[in-house]
Amino acid sequence: MARSDRSGDIILSTRNVTKRYGQVEAVRELTLEIRDGEFFTIVGPSGSGKSTLIRMLGGLEAPTTGSVWLRDEDITHVPANRRPTCMVFQSLALFRHRSVGENIEFAQKMRGVPPGERRRHALEMMRIVRLPDSYYNRRIHQCSGGEQQRVALARALASDPTILFFDEPLSAIDYRLRKILEVEMKDLHRRTGKTFVYITHSLEEAMVMSDRISIMRDGNIVQTGTPRDIYSRPGSRFVAQFMGEVNVFEIREGRIASPEADVSAIGRHGYLVLRPEHLRRLDGQDAADVRFEAIVESEYMLGSRLQYHLRAGDASLVAEIPIPAATGVTPGITARWGFDLADATLTED
Amino acid sequence: MIEAPRQSAWRRLQDAWLGTVLVLLYLPIVSVLLASLSNTRYMQFPHRVWTTSAYSDALADYTTAGLHLTSFKIALVVTLASVVIATAGALAFARYEWRGRRWYQRLLLLPIFFPQPVLGLALLLALNAAGLTPDWRTSAFTHLVWITPIVTLVISIRLYGYDVQQEEAAYDLGASRMQVFREITLPVLAPGIVSGAMFAFLLSWSNLPLSIYTTGADTTLPEWLFSRTATNYSPLVPAVAVIATALSALAVLLVWLAWSGLRRLLR
Repeated sequence: MARSDRSGDIILSTRNVTKRYGQVEAVRELTLEIRDGEFFTIVGPSGSGKSTLIRMLGGLEAPTTGSVWLRDEDITHVPANRRPTCMVFQSLALFRHRSVGENIEFAQKMRGVPPGERRRHALEMMRIVRLPDSYYNRRIHQCSGGEQQRVALARALASDPTILFFDEPLSAIDYRLRKILEVEMKDLHRRTGKTFVYITHSLEEAMVMSDRISIMRDGNIVQTGTPRDIYSRPGSRFVAQFMGEVNVFEIREGRIASPEADVSAIGRHGYLVLRPEHLRRLDGQDAADVRFEAIVESEYMLGSRLQYHLRAGDASLVAEIPIPAATGVTPGITARWGFDLADATLTED
Repeated sequence: MIEAPRQSAWRRLQDAWLGTVLVLLYLPIVSVLLASLSNTRYMQFPHRVWTTSAYSDALADYTTAGLHLTSFKIALVVTLASVVIATAGALAFARYEWRGRRWYQRLLLLPIFFPQPVLGLALLLALNAAGLTPDWRTSAFTHLVWITPIVTLVISIRLYGYDVQQEEAAYDLGASRMQVFREITLPVLAPGIVSGAMFAFLLSWSNLPLSIYTTGADTTLPEWLFSRTATNYSPLVPAVAVIATALSALAVLLVWLAWSGLRRLLR
């Protein structure tokens, strides 16, 4: 399996798609473009409409209005079983009354492929997802959580879809295994060259695996971009806060009130968004565009760095410092802190 | 180590409890078996003469063969019809969300809570009003009214523990709706269907309260056992009862063997 020649073209898109359940609008006038061969992740909080969206993309739900396109073909009313796509479900939805091999062969069996050829193909898929051949006759309940993930992946790949959808397949897995599978998924994406469309509410999963990310809120997409762009240049307070810890300062007439500072160089109105790692402790004559004194209220260990909760006047702030640089900062002390405007982002809402 | 004597006493108490329950369950069946090995018209124990002559009479008597046949016909029709109706009913009961589902769930259970003699009388009156002459077929219908809800519940239990997304996954993998039912839904339901079928057969085979009202000129095995026990008892009665019990046990055993074989083949 290799990356197609059309890599980078728009392979799947929606045009003003809306989905209503009675009075509830799960997805609103949503327009989206996914490129051929990319690992595209849709992130959003629970109830943001991301699962409804992926079910419409996969043909498991019909949009109330709007259309879904596969390259130049309108597939809005093409049912799931006739689309060149396949979904890996949150529950994995493995057929528990069938063996590992029978699960993987299922799509080919439905197409009338002879048993010998099906078996050969299933074993090939098992090798791709790194399942031993001896698992072919195993029952699903005899497989561990990670092995079941691999069976679900192999089953989806065996149907040879153009696009693979993933509806939060790692959400019920423990942290250690999830980290391993995140790397394996990314590796599988690279090796197969297929388009992966992934849904998650975990920012971390999205950042590790994705080429591009869309952030969903209240049934619509609020920002799309590379993980780095979205993290460092969030388009709104919502995106900034959703993508991790952040300090938000309201700007009025080019000033922020607490800590008091002139930030007119970045803008006169809106919100100034600053990641905790850009808030620095200042020593002696250290320079910074904005400088202020703050009390260290508490300290939290985050592995390779320490997180400090600070109070500067009425404002509660968060700073994160790599452990070797954090010496001398302890709860209860008052210290000088600061940041540069070049590290901050201005958002309108 | 100090706990050992207490554990041992607890274990003995458990064994005694289990033994008591088993004796209470099986003593009546053993009593019928013992009664069938006598030659007197009055039940007394121990017998003065032990004989199997009642079994010879039962096997030679055309009437008792006819009784088995009538009961078997009814049980077979009820089993087949109830399984088909209950499978569809269970899907409506536990699988799909639809308007009126809650009312359907309540109404479906209603016949189970009717006292059977009352249900039998009600159905007899309904049959009369419809101008139908009661016979084994009307009896099969009345059995169905009572047994189908039970089979529906038995099959529904399978659906409650079932991941519905398996059907979506199969559909997403290219299966048609019919293939999804054949390849996913039906195999998942199969153990429930087999259990439901066995329940249906045994409940119909042994039913007396409904049959008394609705068999008309035909007579089922439980009806004959009841009337002969009340008015003209002889060791033939327990002998026929033992044969009926053995036949129903055999039927269950055959279904179980067939199902086990089928499962092994499907694997």
